[in-house]
Amino acid sequence: MITEKYFVLIIDDHPLITEAYITALNYYSKHNETVNFSIQTAHDCDSGRKLIKKALKSEKHKYIVFLDMKLPQSKDGKILSGEDLGLLIRELLPNPIIIVSTTFNDNFRIHSILKNINPEGLLIKNDITPLELLQTIRIVINNPPYYSKTVLKLLRDQVLNDFILDQYDRKILYELSIGTRMKDLPDLLPLSIAAIEKRKRNLKRVFNVKKLDDRHLIVSAREKGFI
Amino acid sequence: MVRFCGNPPKTAGYPLSPSSNDSVSTWIRASKNTSYALQERKQFLIKAYHIVKASQIDSTHVRNLTTIAFRNLRLGDITLFKKRTSEALALATRLNDSFAIGDGHWNYASYYNQLQVFDSAYHHFDTANKYFDKSGHISESAKMQYGMAFIKGRFKDYSGSEVLTFMAIKKFKQIEDYKFLYSSYDHLGTLQNDIYEYDKALYYYDRSLEYLDEFKNNQTQYQASLNNIGITYLKKEDYTQALQNFNTLLKNDRLKLNNKDYYARALDNRAYCRLLMKDTLHVSKQLNEALQIRDSLGNKGAVVISKIHLARYYTYAQDSVKAIAAAKEANRLAEEIRNSRDYLESLSILATLDPKNSATYLKRHIEYSDSLQIIERKIQNKFTRIAFETDEYIEETKRLSEQKVWITVIGLVIFLVLGLLFLIWRQKLRHNFLLFENEQQKANEQIYLISLNQQEKLENEKIKERNRISEELHDGVLGQLFGTRMNLGFLVIEGDENTVKQHQLYLKELQTIEKEIRNVSHELSDNIASSQINFLSIITEVLETKSKLGHFKFELDFDESIDWQKINQIIKANLYRIIQEALQNIIKHAQAKNVSLFFNVDKLKLVLEIKDDGIGFDTKQKPRGIGMRNMTSRIKKLNGEFTVLSKPTKGTLLTIQIPFKSKKHDN
Repeated sequence: MITEKYFVLIIDDHPLITEAYITALNYYSKHNETVNFSIQTAHDCDSGRKLIKKALKSEKHKYIVFLDMKLPQSKDGKILSGEDLGLLIRELLPNPIIIVSTTFNDNFRIHSILKNINPEGLLIKNDITPLELLQTIRIVINNPPYYSKTVLKLLRDQVLNDFILDQYDRKILYELSIGTRMKDLPDLLPLSIAAIEKRKRNLKRVFNVKKLDDRHLIVSAREKGFI
Repeated sequence: MVRFCGNPPKTAGYPLSPSSNDSVSTWIRASKNTSYALQERKQFLIKAYHIVKASQIDSTHVRNLTTIAFRNLRLGDITLFKKRTSEALALATRLNDSFAIGDGHWNYASYYNQLQVFDSAYHHFDTANKYFDKSGHISESAKMQYGMAFIKGRFKDYSGSEVLTFMAIKKFKQIEDYKFLYSSYDHLGTLQNDIYEYDKALYYYDRSLEYLDEFKNNQTQYQASLNNIGITYLKKEDYTQALQNFNTLLKNDRLKLNNKDYYARALDNRAYCRLLMKDTLHVSKQLNEALQIRDSLGNKGAVVISKIHLARYYTYAQDSVKAIAAAKEANRLAEEIRNSRDYLESLSILATLDPKNSATYLKRHIEYSDSLQIIERKIQNKFTRIAFETDEYIEETKRLSEQKVWITVIGLVIFLVLGLLFLIWRQKLRHNFLLFENEQQKANEQIYLISLNQQEKLENEKIKERNRISEELHDGVLGQLFGTRMNLGFLVIEGDENTVKQHQLYLKELQTIEKEIRNVSHELSDNIASSQINFLSIITEVLETKSKLGHFKFELDFDESIDWQKINQIIKANLYRIIQEALQNIIKHAQAKNVSLFFNVDKLKLVLEIKDDGIGFDTKQKPRGIGMRNMTSRIKKLNGEFTVLSKPTKGTLLTIQIPFKSKKHDN
């Protein structure tokens, strides 16, 4: 049997979590002798980026990346979160296996992650147990993808409600849900206030919200799994 | 010499209206009838008086009273006369009836004339004249002037008398009263006689005779005139002419029968004339005949003249004893009847006849004529004073009335000025009050704005803090918990089956805790509700409190696109007040069950509709309360439009449109 060697990057700002990942990986390789892991860890965007560059030089064939979404941003301000880092990985590394693990369980963010990074594994931290983590490792190595339960639920809901919402619509809904003011939205989106208004009216029609109040829109969007 | 009674005879001074005064005038007429006894005639007047008293108080009433009073005087009933006259005068004054007032004074003048209290008589004539003149009663006024002229003539104010007579003549001519024209000219002749202007006197007598022809029953006057003319010629020492006149008089046979007085006078004068012509034939006999007649008539004044003439005759006949006796008799009688002229004449005769006592008589003559002069002068002064006082009275009245006008004008001006000042003062006060109120309102609004801002800031901080906690929980605590749980999971637990099971259970528990923390974190960051806290939340609060007060349900709708942050705070403050006011009105008047507020934007206008399903009102009626006006003024201040749609029982819809300017770079 040929031993497969994986170069594993764990990027998470919590040492406890990286510890857990390492334990899981070790446990897995111990039980699967054909798999061998070379593990590196990083706790922020800067060190994460460095690690990626280093991994590129080492010319290893297989890469597994555990990526947290919430990370301290890079000092030069180019990489703001794990999401940006994920994009970078996709761009630089050849066929990486990306496992995004995040505490974000809101639909918008999950949707965004799926859309942008399209990770081989998407774990919502609250969903997983040690057993599930081991299963994740197994599936992403052998037959990706692996999505944890919350993600699956979301996808299911979205299939049931066949609305076509683009990222801006989602963004608007998301921002509104976290209490962002209308006047601040043009700063967050490449849209004018009028355009945002128009989208909002459209969203209300789509979600069948008659009230002029934003609150009802948000509640409805959340029910249908868009936030 | 004959003088007419100075009292102009009263005739009916006004037309008696036949209807209402029939009985009155009948009784008055009856009282004039000499065929009744005096007592009866007085009774008639009392009856007339009672009828008058029963009648309505008006001009006729008063005039009847004066007439009755005058009749009383004629019948010698002085007490009643005075009573009636004063009553009539009081009434006339009350009614402001000038004629009646004049008439009353005329009554008094007649009375005093009769009593020979000439100064009082003159005063009343004067007053009566004023009232008659004022009320345009020419005839009466002229008669009063005649009466005054007569009195003045009596007291030797010849020029004054003449002037008054001419004034009276002018008026008499105007109304063609020939009887009085005759009397007036006769009076003028007498006046000229008194100042020894015999030719002028004769001229006036001639003139008087001209008017005499103009009226009937003129015999008495004609005879008097002939006598007067004769006497004038006598004085002029034109005895032939005098004699001719007296002869003409005496030729009238009826004179002796009808008018013994005149006859005796004519006889006496003719005899005296003859004496002066030194033709003494029958003179003594005729003088004595005249004396006899006069004596029998009891005419003392005439007796005195006869005696004087006799004294003159006896002097001529050089029978000094009889002359002195006659003169003394004349002197005594003259003194008795207070005939000063004859008294003086008798004295001077006595002085020449009685050389022994001449000095005494002369002295007495001088003394008496001096005292007479003094009296005359005094009375003349009095007349002047009366005239002056009246003039002064007129002046005074004029001055007073002018003063009155001035006082009124000044009073009015002062009143107006004060009124204006008061108005200005009140306006200023009100202005100040409004300013104060305005400031108060501004201050209120300021406070509202500050509190609004404060609340917003607080809310923002709150949101930030919540977000921070949420993030902390989510990213920090949750991550660490997850890590711990995973690590715990990979720990190989040595122990019995039970221990391993327990381990698994606690791991599950940890996972649940994680989930809960996540939920808490989400809830914390779920700020959609509180992000709207601002203007609308305040409005909602107002609606909630007011709806409880007014027992109505409310609905608040607004266009999401309204960016309340961009709307001027002043507009919001005013809107807040307007809404408060409108809700207050709804509570007070509308009895509404449902109230809805709707905010919308139309281009650059903020539109607010406040609708209720209350009883409504008629929009045509002016609003009574201050509420509507306040709202209108507020909206006007914001350059907004305000429409009220309402009908009784159909509810009310207020539409308020306010243009707003977007505030840039605000917050």
